[in-house]
Amino acid sequence: MNFHDLQPMALGVLLAAAAALVLLTDLFTKPSTKPNLGWLTFGLLSAVLVASFTLDLRGEVASHVWRGGAWPVFLARLFLVAGLITVLGGMDHIARKWTYRQGEFYTVLLLCLTGMVLLPGARDLVLLIVCFELMGIPLYILTAFAKTDSGPKPVEAALKLFLIGAGSTALTVFGAALLAGLAGTTDMSVLVSSTLSPLQGIGTMLLLAGLAFKIGVAPFHMWVPDTYEGAPTPVVAFLSVAPKVGGFATLVMVLWQALPRLIHVWGPVTLVLCALTLTVGNLGAIAQRNIKRLLAYSGVGQVGYVLLGLLSGREFGVAMMLFYLAAYVVTNLGVFLVAHAVAEAGDGETISSFDGLGRRSPWLAMSLLLFLLSLAGIPFVAGFWAKFFVFVAAWRAGQSEMVLVGALFATVALFYYLGVARAAYVNVSAKTEKIVVSRALAGAIIACLLAVVGLGAWPSPVVEAAMAAARSVSGIGP
Amino acid sequence: MTAILLISSALFCAGVYGLLSQRHAVGVLIAIELMINAANLLLVGFGWRTGGAFGQSFALFTMAIAVAEVVVGLALILLMYRSRGDVQVDQATELAQ
Repeated sequence: MNFHDLQPMALGVLLAAAAALVLLTDLFTKPSTKPNLGWLTFGLLSAVLVASFTLDLRGEVASHVWRGGAWPVFLARLFLVAGLITVLGGMDHIARKWTYRQGEFYTVLLLCLTGMVLLPGARDLVLLIVCFELMGIPLYILTAFAKTDSGPKPVEAALKLFLIGAGSTALTVFGAALLAGLAGTTDMSVLVSSTLSPLQGIGTMLLLAGLAFKIGVAPFHMWVPDTYEGAPTPVVAFLSVAPKVGGFATLVMVLWQALPRLIHVWGPVTLVLCALTLTVGNLGAIAQRNIKRLLAYSGVGQVGYVLLGLLSGREFGVAMMLFYLAAYVVTNLGVFLVAHAVAEAGDGETISSFDGLGRRSPWLAMSLLLFLLSLAGIPFVAGFWAKFFVFVAAWRAGQSEMVLVGALFATVALFYYLGVARAAYVNVSAKTEKIVVSRALAGAIIACLLAVVGLGAWPSPVVEAAMAAARSVSGIGP
Repeated sequence: MTAILLISSALFCAGVYGLLSQRHAVGVLIAIELMINAANLLLVGFGWRTGGAFGQSFALFTMAIAVAEVVVGLALILLMYRSRGDVQVDQATELAQ
């Protein structure tokens, strides 16, 4: 095997090389010039994103173990966009708070992205689990990056994420061991070709439970609000989008591709989880006073809609799930970055810290409003099409009662999203000074804003890309 | 084969029980290790039964993952000890208030 054989997984190789480059550059950089590491990472990520358009990424690596094509490329672009916006939005915070550890931050972030980008192409259970952990372990480190500089909260947040994450890894590994052991192979395409046995059902359930913990599906969501509240906001912004995309990519591969013959086992369970997630997330968000906890519960609710797309299944449902994830990535990053900008100005992280934002910083307030409308699914921003398409997919799959449940909770969600908007536009505040936003952070918010408005006005290119991606996953087709 | 299944399931259940009942962070970590090792035992058992290298190689990868996880976990527990002076998980309730 020579280096050329690795071309289909070139994006992962490039990202790993970028991580090594940033780590080495960090060694030879004086503290005063370390902020440039953020721009270096940004440049490297942009280069990899450009490479995803120019390189030929089709084909297989090591016969069946990793498969390229439209599916991993679509997801890789989503991860790269999330990484780019996170780096841009968090750069100044990272440079100010952790001046001497910036190199480590970016290295760990790039390693995490390497795992994510390699994940969707994995066609072998061992590689799938290794990539999943390469995505997961750096996230524990990033969540704990604030160490003890602001009391015990960040450490507690990271420890909760770690204990839940490690426990769910153990569940996933045991489930995978059962499935692989019964099939006598780790190749996912032939995992369930032999006779069905109850043990395979147990293995599927364990695998599903482990993955459900990681993406924060109710009733496995208890770590989400605590971790989001305690961890540094730029990390939470990344944590709230990218690993969820990774988790859903894994679910599609495990459920639809490897275990479609066990749909009678995981189908009903996932349906119940979906309904429960919608309920818990949306009702839990109403009572929240901290913006990060509110967004955590709202994120749990959003995961419910993505699950609905996944469940509706086959090509169209999976494609609409991908579009939902794309809209969710830019919207949720945007709303967290606005919250970050407000918190950076020293106004705290409660909902009342947004009071009077409409007068103080009209641009920031308008972006916040658009992001919230997109999360709520109001026409004509990205989130509207996302919800609409997922509902269409669910309706076509005969899940009409789930469409009703989803629409009901979309109304509930409108209530708490508009509660934040009301604070920004209706409530008055004693503070009148403008909120100072650094240039990089403003750039990241504007990028999210353009994406949200752009996807709302012109969703078809991304929808088509998502359809092509879903079509290229073998086993999903009709 | 049934014996291996039973032993590893028992180990796994002991791990799950520990995960849910332990109040000491290191205890929880040990419980998680127990669960992963139960999976390894299962893999090696299946591999021995069916022949071929897939069980052993999968188990090796799992061990490496578990090690990486424990390294990060112990660092986090150390940080928790520095910031709070104890590592009792049930007393870490600064959040959600």
